[in-house]
Amino acid sequence: MGTVSGLFLIAGSALAMIGGIGSVRFPDLLSRMHAAAKAPTLGLVLVAIGAAIEIDTMLAVTTVILVVVLQLLSSPVGAHALSRASRRQVPVSLDDVDELTRDEQSD
Amino acid sequence: MSSVAFVMLFIGAGCFMYRLLRGPSLPDRVVGLDGLLSIIVITIVVAASRQSSGITIETVLVAVLVGFVGTVALARFIERRGD
Repeated sequence: MGTVSGLFLIAGSALAMIGGIGSVRFPDLLSRMHAAAKAPTLGLVLVAIGAAIEIDTMLAVTTVILVVVLQLLSSPVGAHALSRASRRQVPVSLDDVDELTRDEQSD
Repeated sequence: MSSVAFVMLFIGAGCFMYRLLRGPSLPDRVVGLDGLLSIIVITIVVAASRQSSGITIETVLVAVLVGFVGTVALARFIERRGD
């Protein structure tokens, strides 16, 4: 395995591990979701770059690019749907103003 | 070098598994499930590039799509379940 692709693989795996540690250590749902939705996505991007350098066939590189695009499109949508759905049911700690409730009441 | 990556992925999978099993509410468990599927996807890509073969890399596509559909379906379920 080449050095450059190995470094990309290790960096992506470290980001995934950091996301897991954050999902354990953070105190409430929204900050856990912040750790668990963003860090593994960037980790997948780095790991996919490393795999595209290492494997280096046309089919594998195309598939990896497709995977990265799909993950970048679907991960924020899923996290947003989940946080919006669970906003009313799970206690979260907010700063001084609750923008979602304010905007819904102003309609 | 990929052994280091596998060890870190194992630690991350353990953390997400803890959140999946111990999460105090249902959305916490969904967060754990989503993160665990991300770890699985990254592990498949690392294993494919360890062998330098792209045979197993199509399964990653299916895993990403199943993860997205599962997360959105569980979010809809949580939204509808509320009173």
